Amino acid sequence: MRELARMIATKKVSPVEVVQAHLDRIAALDGKLRSYITVMGDSALAAAKAAEAAVQSGGTLGPLHGVPVGLKDLYCTKGVKTTGGSKLLADWVPEEDATVVARLAGAGAIPLGKLNMHEFAYGPEGLNPHYGTPWNPWDAGVHRICGGSSSGSGASVAAGICPGALGSDTGGSIRIPSSLCGLSGIKPTYGRVSRAGVLPLAWSMDHVGPMCRSAADCALMLAPMAGYDPRDPTTSVLPVPDYAAALTGQVKGLRIGLLRSFFLEGAGPAQRAAVEAAAKALEGQGASVEPVDLTKVSLAAAASHAVLAPEAYAYHEEWLKTRAAEYGADVRERLRVGAFVTGAEYLKGQRLRTTLRNEVDAALAKLDVLLAPSTAIEATAVGQNEVRIGSETFPVRASLIRFTRPFNLTGHPAASVPCGFTADGLPMGLQIIGRPFDEATVLRVADAYQRLTDWHTRRPAMAA
Amino acid sequence: MRYSPGMEKLTVDTLRTLATAQGLELSDAELASLLPLVEAGKSGLAAVRDIQPETEPASQFRIL
Repeated sequence: MRELARMIATKKVSPVEVVQAHLDRIAALDGKLRSYITVMGDSALAAAKAAEAAVQSGGTLGPLHGVPVGLKDLYCTKGVKTTGGSKLLADWVPEEDATVVARLAGAGAIPLGKLNMHEFAYGPEGLNPHYGTPWNPWDAGVHRICGGSSSGSGASVAAGICPGALGSDTGGSIRIPSSLCGLSGIKPTYGRVSRAGVLPLAWSMDHVGPMCRSAADCALMLAPMAGYDPRDPTTSVLPVPDYAAALTGQVKGLRIGLLRSFFLEGAGPAQRAAVEAAAKALEGQGASVEPVDLTKVSLAAAASHAVLAPEAYAYHEEWLKTRAAEYGADVRERLRVGAFVTGAEYLKGQRLRTTLRNEVDAALAKLDVLLAPSTAIEATAVGQNEVRIGSETFPVRASLIRFTRPFNLTGHPAASVPCGFTADGLPMGLQIIGRPFDEATVLRVADAYQRLTDWHTRRPAMAA
Repeated sequence: MRYSPGMEKLTVDTLRTLATAQGLELSDAELASLLPLVEAGKSGLAAVRDIQPETEPASQFRIL
């Protein structure tokens, strides 16, 4: 994205050419990928022509001027249908843009289309029975999951039919598809980026953020998105730092914690080795790395059930009573579970969140960032429900969400960047967790790691 | 809502009662499919007993 923005600003390439090239790639590849629900071809080309005129006139250009972006289909777009990946909203056309959509447009970005997703963002596999399940571009032969819920964002950016995309993350939905699709993505601190105009899954756990091909691109895209928004009372008034300026390439002197029990010890052997190698690479650049154990983190599953399920049920309650048949079977059942969580259980979950947050804050009082695998496993085949890790069998769903979910409960910023490939050529992700509102250090570490490695530069054969 | 000791073992029938009280009309098959999920969630929470008494619920609704 950075390179594209630079080439557009210096008139080396026209925004019209860039948008048309992406539309051509969508036409060629997305029949199989199924990453888009709605392609905004006409409006994108019109915006590109206006962007081209602005370049020619020599006016001030935004940091994303003329660069196409994809929008997960839960971001409201004025005049463009927003389905949430569901049949229930198949024909719903919002009357205004989500705040981040408007802010990206203000920075010059051009919305290319609305991206596929797990229905109403309630699933870490990225399945969709209504619009087709996106195909992971890293395996052209086997239909593998992209991870979810932002599966269309993962597929489209990995396949090069979108330079960068918006995802959303309630239990890992930015970091899981970033991990499984070989992308860089960041879930900012809760309150850093406005959720106004974003269809909710669970209000107190939802985070929105970018998914791109590099940490530097994430910094470029996050900057205009971040900051206080009167439409979202949970956003912070803290000033937004210059994320691009934070990318010094240096980690010397940084104190890094390597999350051991629960995380490394619960990961597949390839994921564990890749994350340990990443920690060594950073250590080799002058960071200090020490093992850390979060003893309360195993409570995250119970806390998440207590909080997420009833919040999701509360949003969907009326539709579950009147239009239940229109949901996909998996999401309908998951949503109904929330009806049986009591008020006392919900508050017990919120008290567990306090416990978890205190523990992560205590670890980060002595350390700058924490490292962990993003997911315990690589992309599995669509329809596969169980996976072996070591000598044990685990549900795929739990194995995807286990390492990301704790930081939705605590609200800490967390990124995922590629850190290697399995023997089968499937990407693996390194998770980098930082202090509240310190996305700059998370991105700095991610970018420094990407200057040492080339994992993020590799492309799937399908993208050729 | 707290369950009396007699209700602690959830069944399809108790789940149906709870669902109906909320206006959800679910079939026997739907209730049977939901039962293990609801039980798993409740037993996971019930197993957590070491929350410090002074721990207050998290609140995200504040300007930081």
